[in-house]
Amino acid sequence: MTTTGAVRLLLSLDARRLTDAVRHPRIGAWAAVVLPVALAAAGMWMAGESVRPDVSTGDGVILLGLLAAAPVSIQAYPILFRAADDAFLRRLGIPARALFGVRGLRLLALAVAVVLALMIPFVSTAQPVARPLAVAMAAAVAAWAVSLWAQARAAVRVGEGRRSPFAGFLGPDPQLAAAASLVYAPLYPLLAGAAAARFVGSEVATMPVRLAAVAAVSLALVPLAAAAFARALPRFAPRAGELAYAPPPDASGGELIVGHGIARLLPAAVQAARARDAVVLGRRYRWASRVAWPVSIVAALALLRGGRSPDLRTAVTLACGLLLVAQAGTVIALGRAERGRLRWLDRGVGLGAANRLLGRWTAAFGQGMAIALPLAFGWGIGVPGGGGWLWLAAAAVVAAVASLASMAAAGR
Amino acid sequence: MTDALPLSVRGLRKQYRRRLVLDGVTFDVRPGEAVALAGPNGAGKSTLIGCITADRVPNAGEVRICGADPFERPREAAACMGFVPEQPFLYPELSVAELLRFVAAARRLDADASAAETARLLGMLGLAGAEQTLCRELSQGMGRKTAIVAALLHRPRMIVLDEALNGLDRTSAERLVAELDACRAGGAAVLISSHDLDFLAGWCGRGLLLPSPGTWRLLEGGDWDAWRKAPSLAPV
Repeated sequence: MTTTGAVRLLLSLDARRLTDAVRHPRIGAWAAVVLPVALAAAGMWMAGESVRPDVSTGDGVILLGLLAAAPVSIQAYPILFRAADDAFLRRLGIPARALFGVRGLRLLALAVAVVLALMIPFVSTAQPVARPLAVAMAAAVAAWAVSLWAQARAAVRVGEGRRSPFAGFLGPDPQLAAAASLVYAPLYPLLAGAAAARFVGSEVATMPVRLAAVAAVSLALVPLAAAAFARALPRFAPRAGELAYAPPPDASGGELIVGHGIARLLPAAVQAARARDAVVLGRRYRWASRVAWPVSIVAALALLRGGRSPDLRTAVTLACGLLLVAQAGTVIALGRAERGRLRWLDRGVGLGAANRLLGRWTAAFGQGMAIALPLAFGWGIGVPGGGGWLWLAAAAVVAAVASLASMAAAGR
Repeated sequence: MTDALPLSVRGLRKQYRRRLVLDGVTFDVRPGEAVALAGPNGAGKSTLIGCITADRVPNAGEVRICGADPFERPREAAACMGFVPEQPFLYPELSVAELLRFVAAARRLDADASAAETARLLGMLGLAGAEQTLCRELSQGMGRKTAIVAALLHRPRMIVLDEALNGLDRTSAERLVAELDACRAGGAAVLISSHDLDFLAGWCGRGLLLPSPGTWRLLEGGDWDAWRKAPSLAPV
């Protein structure tokens, strides 16, 4: 089968899968997608002025570029190498370049979706959209192409057992050091996105020329990325699964303790569901809690020192809002992981939907407290007029919506 | 490539972090024969199969499927092999018929011939009438049968079955074994892992025993005859 023919076949497969929710409508499937999207879009719309970077300044342009590039950089690895059907397709003899083509298009679709989402605050505040759209699109396209290249190159290095020169910075774990190229790979597209945004937002030549230059450089990288991907895939794809192996948890923390602290006030069944969900969330998506404390504490300290600055408040709102949304994503992903597989346990022990929902909400709210609590403190004291409690309310609402979507995603 | 052995494994070594699972495993599977793969849970059966199907990268050693290295020439190896994993992947959004049509197209099979072969295999396994059922609605056994049809559709020379009889009703299992016998009569080889030692002893002509991680024993000739009289997972 030619690469083109295989790409066509895979795209028709994707189209068939994507239209499943339309062909076989289910409330759960729709709610799991529409609820978070609606929440994020509504949040961006209402936050408007607070979350809209000022694209008339260099800093604002770079901030917009980073915002456009970050999701693309982070999602490139799972999209390229962790597809659920990867082994199945390889065993069917689908050419690696065809897999690259389809996954590259998926990442590009994500980049375009991110750009469109970033335009919501500009539209809601009746600002001109042309310049921010150009800046964000350039950043997203640059991040897309550099992501493809950087991830494929990292996969080649890891697959061939070549160590990154910066592997030593990652600590003593030899497995982590061996995967150092993958750990650093998202940094390149992030920097490329910021640089592309700054370039397109500058006064060099005309805007169409600047956009064309970014597009040309980006597209030139794609064939290199495709070649590296095709070289890496047969040996790296199986390793990607092994890299995801989690060793047994240590006993130092994160153990499943039912009825701990204030959770003792909850009904017994809810306590059990909360404890289970909190531990699974903490282990499966450890990054979501690891990254929360440093960001929220730095944000709180910054607010205590300079909470009067609107720019600082915008940056803090953006960073912590994104973190809350990311944590909500992990709660929804937990529901998706349960779909059709793990629900039997809850049914078997007689854990009803209400108990599961309340347990999940308390676990999700507890996860969000790592962000909301320091922020509420910093905002309440450092920002004139206070209003820090709004962060606690926001965390509670986000947790509630995420829990509802998670339950819907878990299905029957 | 057609003259090459369906499967050749040489000096295969695999370890996860510091845990050695396979150490120097060496064996061939010849055309027309069925080789048993037996061992207790966690002994390395699925890891060995993973190294053969390119789902695991061995630390040392080599695998050849119809002469092709599955890592260097994955498309040739894929064309020669049909594999039913212990937990088969099926697209939940596709119906059984859609999934099998996709498999036939990906393997570049003639549309009419593959449709007829699909219908024959589905009927053989008792899945006739389930063509329009979504894969997410299939029971475990029906899902496994669908995966078996997908694996046999292109008439592979090397058939690898990882616990493939699990979840099959008795009639379907007997029909599957008859189908595999027909494939073997046509020159195909079978490597099958199972915990049903009596079945392995009765149906296979040789065996590979993995008593514990890092240990293995090829059972053939007198060793196999002795083992099949009293099948056991204990070291021979």
